[in-house]
Parts: sequence; C-alpha cells; structure tokens
Amino acid sequence: MRYQVKHITKYKYANKVSHCYNLANLMPRNTARQTCLESRMIISPQETHANKRTDYFGNISYHFEIQTPHSELTITAESLIDVAELRTDLNNDLGISYADALKLLKEMPSIDVIEAREFCLDSPMIKVNQELIDYATPSFSLSRPLYTCVEELTSRIFTDFTYTPGFTNISTPLSEVLAHKKGVCQDFAHLQIGCLRAMGIPAKYVSGYMETLPPPGQEKLVGADATHAWIAYYSPEDGWIEFDPTNDVRAGSKHIVTAEGRDYYDVTPLKGVIFGGGKSPILEVSVDVARKPEGVINR
Amino acid sequence: MSKPIYPQNQPLPQPQLQMQAQTQDQSQKQGSTTTQGLNYNRPAAGIPDQVYTPDGAIKPEWDYLLNSLDNLGSKALKERQDKARRILRDDGVTYNIYAENSPSNSEWELDLVPAIIGSEAWSVIEAGLLERAELLNLMLRDFYGERTLLKQNIIPPEALFGHGGFLRACHGIKIPGEHELILHSADMVQRADGTMCVLSDRTQAPSGAGYVLENRTVMSRVFPSLFRDSHVHRLASFFQRLRHKLISLSPSDGQARVVVLTPGAHNETYFDHSYISNYLGFPLVQSGDLVVRNGFVWMKSLDGLDRVDVILRRVDDVSCDPVELRSSSQLGVPGLLDVVRAGRVIMANPIGSGVLENPILLKYLPEISKALLGRELRLDSVKTYWCGDPEDLTFVTAHIKELIIKPIYRGHSLKSVFGGDLSQAETTELLQKIRHQPTQFVAQERIDKPHVPSLINGGLEPRPAILRTFSVAADNSYIVMPGGLTRVGNEVSSPIVSMQAGCPSKDTWITATEPERISENEANEAGQAELEASLMSLPSRVIENLFWMGRYAERAEASLRILRTVFMMINDEQAINKASQRILLQSITEVTGTHPGFLNATDEQLANPEEELLLIIKDGNRPGSIKSTLNSLLYCADESKELLSSDTIRVINDIRDALDNLESSLANGLSSAPEEDLDPLVIPLIALSGLMQESMVRGVGWHFLDMGRRVERGVQIMKTVTTLATYIDENASKRTLLNAMLRSMEVFITYRRHSRNRSGMELGLELVLLDDTNPRSLIFQFEQLQKHFSAVRRMGSDTKGLEEEDRVLLEAVTKLKLSRINELAESKDGSRSELVDLLIRLNTLLSDFSNTISDRYFDHRIDPQQLVNTSWED
Repeated sequence: MRYQVKHITKYKYANKVSHCYNLANLMPRNTARQTCLESRMIISPQETHANKRTDYFGNISYHFEIQTPHSELTITAESLIDVAELRTDLNNDLGISYADALKLLKEMPSIDVIEAREFCLDSPMIKVNQELIDYATPSFSLSRPLYTCVEELTSRIFTDFTYTPGFTNISTPLSEVLAHKKGVCQDFAHLQIGCLRAMGIPAKYVSGYMETLPPPGQEKLVGADATHAWIAYYSPEDGWIEFDPTNDVRAGSKHIVTAEGRDYYDVTPLKGVIFGGGKSPILEVSVDVARKPEGVINR
Repeated sequence: MSKPIYPQNQPLPQPQLQMQAQTQDQSQKQGSTTTQGLNYNRPAAGIPDQVYTPDGAIKPEWDYLLNSLDNLGSKALKERQDKARRILRDDGVTYNIYAENSPSNSEWELDLVPAIIGSEAWSVIEAGLLERAELLNLMLRDFYGERTLLKQNIIPPEALFGHGGFLRACHGIKIPGEHELILHSADMVQRADGTMCVLSDRTQAPSGAGYVLENRTVMSRVFPSLFRDSHVHRLASFFQRLRHKLISLSPSDGQARVVVLTPGAHNETYFDHSYISNYLGFPLVQSGDLVVRNGFVWMKSLDGLDRVDVILRRVDDVSCDPVELRSSSQLGVPGLLDVVRAGRVIMANPIGSGVLENPILLKYLPEISKALLGRELRLDSVKTYWCGDPEDLTFVTAHIKELIIKPIYRGHSLKSVFGGDLSQAETTELLQKIRHQPTQFVAQERIDKPHVPSLINGGLEPRPAILRTFSVAADNSYIVMPGGLTRVGNEVSSPIVSMQAGCPSKDTWITATEPERISENEANEAGQAELEASLMSLPSRVIENLFWMGRYAERAEASLRILRTVFMMINDEQAINKASQRILLQSITEVTGTHPGFLNATDEQLANPEEELLLIIKDGNRPGSIKSTLNSLLYCADESKELLSSDTIRVINDIRDALDNLESSLANGLSSAPEEDLDPLVIPLIALSGLMQESMVRGVGWHFLDMGRRVERGVQIMKTVTTLATYIDENASKRTLLNAMLRSMEVFITYRRHSRNRSGMELGLELVLLDDTNPRSLIFQFEQLQKHFSAVRRMGSDTKGLEEEDRVLLEAVTKLKLSRINELAESKDGSRSELVDLLIRLNTLLSDFSNTISDRYFDHRIDPQQLVNTSWED
C-alpha cells in the first residue's frame, strides 16, 4: 500500500523566540515491511543550519537550528511510503514456546539476540515493577507459544483499558495508567512493553501513523488523522513482531512506522531548546494520511 | 610521648625560631624540642604502610624525607604548615563541599608530608597506566562503534546497555586520529604485597590536575631545599604535552581556539578549572559563554563571536547538551552534540566517555584485554562482582558483610555502602533493592588502604592514602603525569577517602636517584604559553563581571563612607538638630538604595536609628545593604577570578572573612564608636581600589573594571548631592548638611583650605561637581569614562565618528563645564532648581552610557526553555 503522509506541527509563542535548536523524528525510516520513497522537512522560518542523520536505532533524525526571531514556528514533514501486507507465515499456535524463547534469549550467541536484549532492560520511561509483573503473568505460561501469550496480552489491554484522550499526558506514570485503566495509544504501548520486559521478552516502542477511514457515507476530513504508537516484541525464532494494543491487531499495512526505540523518549517527534518564547506556547498538530495509487511518486 | 630517632642538638636555621628562643624561656623551649620528635613507628602487623618494606625496613626513598623532617623538628614544621595554609588561602584554593552547615567555600588542605614513590616502583605503575589507557581507548571506540565486545560475547549486553553512561546519542561519533580517550585518571591504592590496584577509572572530566600543580607550588616554596635535594620529577612537561595535545585536536586550519568549559564558579572544583585554564593559557568559559550558530560553536567575546575548535570539558556527559541529553541541564550548550557529530568541534574527553566509568567493566577487564590487546593487564583492578551475573549475585548475597556495594552509575540514588556497616534490617533492604535491579549493582572487595605518615598536631601519624593519577594521549600512546593527587583519610581508619569527604591532600613525589635535567626547550615552551594567555580574548561574561565588580566595590565604599560620616556627626559632641538628622539619615537610605528605610520614618525611629542602621549593614537579604553589596562583589570576583592577581584574591578573601565575622562583631548592636565597627570592611576595600589602580595591566579588563567604578561613583555623587543639597529645609542646619556632603566625598580638608577666600555651598558644589583636579568630582568621572571608552574602542573596530557612548559623555562634560556655579547654588522657593535640572539630565546621560555599553559588549542571555514538556525525565 502506498501512502502520502503530511504531518504539520505549529507552535505559537507569547513572546518572540530569538533562536532555537530542535531535533525532529518525523521522517519515516525503512523497516522490514516498509520503504520510505521520499520525505522532506519544510520549516518556517527557514532553518539556518540543518543536519539529517540515521540515529542509533536506525531512525531518521533531523537536527535544525533557527537564528531568525519568530513568534510562530511551523514544521511540516511530507513523506511517501510503501507498506507491505501483513506477514501471515507465523506459527501462531505451533511456534516457539515461552520457555524456549527465554532459554534462547539467554543462551543463543547470535548478534540479533544480543542486540535484542537491550530491549529487555528498563528504559527512561518504562521501569519494570511488581504491578507490571502481576498484570502480565496470567497470559504467560512456560509451555504456551510465545506468540499466543503476546496476542492474549494485547487483547487483555484492549479489553481492560479505555481509550480516553486527555486523561493522561506524556509524563503520566504507568502506575497511574494501570490504576485508572485509561489512557491513549502511547500509554498502552508503554504498558505492554513494560509487561513484556517484566516477562523477560525484549520489546520496543514503535511510533507512526495509522490510516483511518471516515464513517460510512462521510468525506474524510483533512488533518483529522493522528500520530499513533504500538509495540514490537522479539522472538528468537521469528524476529520482531508488531502488535497494536490500542486496536487489538497485529500492525499491518495500515500501520506506517516513523521511528522505533526503547520508549517514547527515543522517538520523541519533536524536541529542543528555545530562547525566549514566554509561557505556555500554543501547539497545533495536524496529520493527513492519504492512500495513493502505486504509480504516484510526486504529490 | 615518643622519642626522636634523630638527636636534635643542632640549632635550627629559622631566624624566627632563634629570636623566640632568645626571648622566651629557653629551658622550656629546649625541653619541648627534645620530647616532640617525629618518630613514625612501624605499623601494627597486617596493615600495609608505604614507608616500610614488608620486612620492616624503611624504604630508601622515605629515609631522606623522614630524616629531614625530623631535623626540622615539629615546631618548625608547624610553622611551615601555617605558611602553606597562608599561601593556599592567598591563592584562593578551595574545594567546595555541598553539605548542610558547612561553609560554601572550603579551604583546600595540604598535608606537608609528601607521598613518595621511588622511580623504580613508579615505572611499573606508569607502564600499567599506559596500557590501561590504551585499552580503555579501544573500548570507548568499540562501545560507540562496532560493539564487537558484545557481539563476541566478551561482555554481556546488559553490562553495557544497562549503564546510564552509555549515551545512545553518541553512537558513531569519532575523533580523527588514534585517540578517542584523551584524558584518563585512575584512583588507586597499594596492596599489602606492594602492587598497585585500581579502584576506579575517571574518564569523563577528571579533576584534580590543578590541585596537583598548586600543591607542588606550595611544597616547593615551603620546603625549597628539601624539594630540590629529593630529585623530584617535575610536572611541567606533562602539562605541555596536554596543551599540545588539545591544540593538535583542532579540526580547523587556522590558529586553534581551545576553551575550558566549567559548570561555573559554584562547582566544587572550580579552583581546579580556573587554575588549569590559566596555566594552559585557554579561556575558561561557562555554558552561557558558548553558542551554537550555523553548525559551529562560538565563544561570545567583546568583539563578537570567536569560533571554538576544542573544548576541554569539566561538565558531565549528560549535562553537555539539553537538546539531546539531559534536557533540564543548565550547564550545557544547546545543539553542541550535533556540532561534535559533524566533527566541527572536538570535546576532550568526548561526550559519552563516562561509559568507561562503569564498574562492571572492572570484572571483565582481563578478558577484554586479552581480546583487544592480546595480553593480560599489568595493572590489577579491585576484585569486582556484578550482581547481574547469577553466580556473582549468589556470592554477594552470602558475603555481603565483607563487601562494598556500589550502584554502577553515579546518578543512582543509592551511594556506595560497606556491607559490614549495615544492620540486619538494612542488609535485607539492600539485598531486596539489588534483587529488584541486579544489573545496576556491583560489589567490590574492601582493600585496606595503605598508610602514609601525615603531619598531625606536630607529629607524624599513619593515615590511609589513595592516589589519583593523570594521563593524556600523546603520539600513539599516552603519557602519565609523574606524580598525582594523594588524598589521606581524616582518621587512622577512615573508610572513605575522598575530596567530597573533605580529606586533606598531599603532593606526590616520584623521586629519582639523580636530578632531572630540564631541557631549555621545555623552559621556553612554558614562557610561550604565558604570552599567548595574556593575548587571548575573554568571554564577555568575565568582562561584564569585572564591570560590575567595579560598580559594587564603589557602591560598598560609598555606602560605608556615608555611614561613617553620619555616625560621626550624630555622635559628635555638637548635637545636631532633628531636621538635620532626618536628612542625614535619609541620605543613607538614598546612597545605599535601601528604600524605604528612613524616607518615611517616624520621629521615634529617627531619634533611635540604630536598629535600621544595623540592618543596613548586616541584613544580607536586603538589596543595598552593605552585606548584600559585598556579597555581589564577591560573586563577581569569583566569576572573574582568573583575571585577578594573587594580591587581589588575598584582599577579596579578607573581605569574605570580614563579612563572615560581621555577624559576631555586631551581635550586641553597634558599639559606642560605630564607625570603627566598619573598619574591617573599609580597609580591605581601600586596599582593593589601590590594587585595581596600581597592579592591574591596562588591558580591556581594567578599562571595564574602572568604567564600572566611575559610573557608580558618578551615580553616588549625584545621589548624595541630591539628598543633601538640592532641597532646603529651613529647620535643618545648612552647615551640617554641607559638612556631611564634603566629608562623605572626602573633600572636607580641601574645602577648609580653600575656604579662607570663599565659603559655603558655592565652593562645596564646585569641589564636588566641577573641579576636574578632584578625583572624586563628578566631572572627573565623566572625563575618565571618555578616556576608557575611547581606549576600548581603539581595541575593537576602527570606525570614525562618534558612537552613542561618546555623544552622551560629551554632552555630560559640556553641560558641567558650561554650568555656572552661582546659578547652581542659588536657591528659590526651597530648592536649587538649576542644580536639580542639571542632575536629572546628567543622571539620564550616565545611565544611557551604562546601558549602551552593556548592550554593545555584554551578552544579554535569555534563559532557554524546553520545546516540549520533559518533566518525566526527572
């Protein structure tokens, strides 16, 4: 499936910003199931200096510096991405058992396994604790296939938790999400990652977009799409497999990846330091995900 | 009391001592020298001692030293210790300890007995350190590059990935050439068998080299002949190599600009930073002095932005860039890491090098060495168990009472603890924490630190010692400083020996059997460094602080002068009337700026002004009080310390002491002659202004310092004249007020000399405002400002024509010159309106001048903030 994504972020400041330094993770990366055909950043006021690079996790980071005083900053990321259909060759019920997976993770000397073990450890925003262990344990038994365990955990999060925009923000701790059973996609992703790591399974955070379809009979609204987040876990047999706990599905051709990391900290879409600006800037975000015919390259 | 090993029958060479011996009771003196020997006994069995060989003999390198110290005798040593303390204090050597109830600046303590290591023993240590630095260098490259040590299963991935010092943002950064690790320090101790053992590696921003230099300077001054005759290896060439290495790292073709980045004057080791920067001849900068622009790093200096090529950092890894690393950091430079990545600035040590301080690595070092160097390490590390390894965890659980437990990363809330010190409950709690996050803890064997002799109460006593070494990359290996920073415990059995714990330090002598030859080349290089240092440009922050130092010094002086004048007049035998007293007291409020103060005081308060006066002196929380102004002065002095002469630092220290004593000396209120209470403050301030005039090079720093002084003096003259001479209260004594004005501006004597011919307000105003031969007149201030500004302008651009600053000064001088003294002195309807108008205009001009030069030369930094909420980070 080919998509065009347009992601606009706008900051309006109370006072002028004299200069600023920013880091954007808004240009989609390539993954095993997607290819980013083109992508560009348009910044207003225009950046004085910029640097695009591939970071530690393989994401595309765009560093930019603005030396023009401004009271409004607009960052537009435009990309064209091909996303493959869902892999269906996985052995759902006959695949590697949880017990074997743990054993291989510990003992297998392959580079992939060694690198995946990084994602078993605590990360800046996700610390394993007893609550997470308690929540995850019912889905994991040693003889059960790992895939089935994760699938069930995904469904339980989907069922137990209510999608409630505005209840949490990025600094809400997992314990609060667990206590109130409310949150948004990034809370559910963090929660599931925490559960998987609590069970000794490497898990990472995936940020991106999901194509949304309008209710039957209605036009799709421009800018109504949103950024999305889900997870990937590592199986020593099958590699990284993505699940979306917010929608209780495997991430497939409707899931467009921007970046991957240990948690939100590693993939923050936009961060930086501004000089001036006053208090409480107004933030506006709009996202458009549009299907394009395969032949289309240009907008 | 112990008996001396060496008889004390020779007269001491100290003239002071001889004098004392003559004047004091001779027999008593004699008695004390014979009983107070400097015996350093062989320690109890089992505790290693650096002085003695395992079979109980004194090592040859210690023999000469102990002999010489003994010959000096404990009294002379005490005097040398006092002298050392004086030098350290005058040089402003501090190590700031962050702890409650401790003064913010702790003076550096140097124990006069050096730690001695013989050449042969040292060459073994040196070889081990070189190899270790080379290995750490390869590890650093591997961790931020291929990570083969992980891929080949030499270290478990959790050991690297779980360490807070592994900064993923630094992945892929490389410095051209062979070295990633530029500086390496190790803390080490000697084991009972005489071999050295590394306790920890310091690879981020190792501090202490400046203290080593200072200790050495003091020792060579306090013990000139002992030092010379001991053939101690010199340190200078190490610092030349360090300087050379930093310059050679520069990525640009032109002359390399190297800066030393410090967290600031309140950092615990700021002295070390400023000493090193001065010694090497590189500007000392703080985060606000640097800015990233167009993909390069620049230093803000008086003439704009200067490109920076190399940064010797004393700021921790994670604090270096709030964009990509710890976002709450105020100590870093936003955008720095991306400039580093592009290779346009080189950091020494590179950001991310803190990963090597991970103590888990000590466990794997032998294996890593075999993999990377193909051999085992010569220099041993402390035995380390990693709780992330199940076997080690079992061992640690069983032997926790014998081990030191440490978190692997310094940011961890838990500090190192010795298991043996814990109660059963505490042990259980600690084990729980470890089991919760096993990868985050190591346990290490406790090594009895070897003893060295320390000078305690005039005798030699054993104290545990630890050595910090310093290495710098050079050619294709490293060179090790021949010496280091030895620290000794406060007690004979101190478990912790660190600068943080306030432990004394020692100079470390590597002694050769023959004197070292100093090549002429080395001597020349040192001279060169000093020359370049004097020409280097300064961050504009330093200049700004000098300007404000001048202003605060003058403000403090003016405040003290008006206080003294008023005290004297109020307490004079000639009583002054109520109305005069009111105006006098109000002038204090105006000059100090401690409003509202006496401005709307009741008659009761005016009759009993002591309470308010006391607050104006000692209430540090009140802006304008003497204490608050002097605190600001001290702050500015700290920020520009590297430009102040050692005499100036000494005077600044006197001011600090006087301030510290203010509370106790004024505890019972003002004395009967309160003007004398202020003397301890007045005298060092006068000394300070003398030093500024007499011992500062007429460079850009001096011009700004004196401009600050002149601006402030102008402001104070106008305030004083305004309160005492512009409005006329018929009930007040004109004579009293005129006297107060003249006295507080120190022209009373001149006035009296001239007053045979003329008298009264006309003469007074002329002296105070228009007399260009009086260095305290208003016109003199404006004329000096003109001279300073044109000098500063000449150093910068060569534009012709008048700048805004020239215009305001010209107008001020012209206005003063054109004014007629009789018109100024003329009063109508209770005020001198001509004088009022003139002063208002001049005041505007002076503040315009001050604002314009501030805008032109100083950096007006807006505080940075994060684009997005990052509160979850902390």
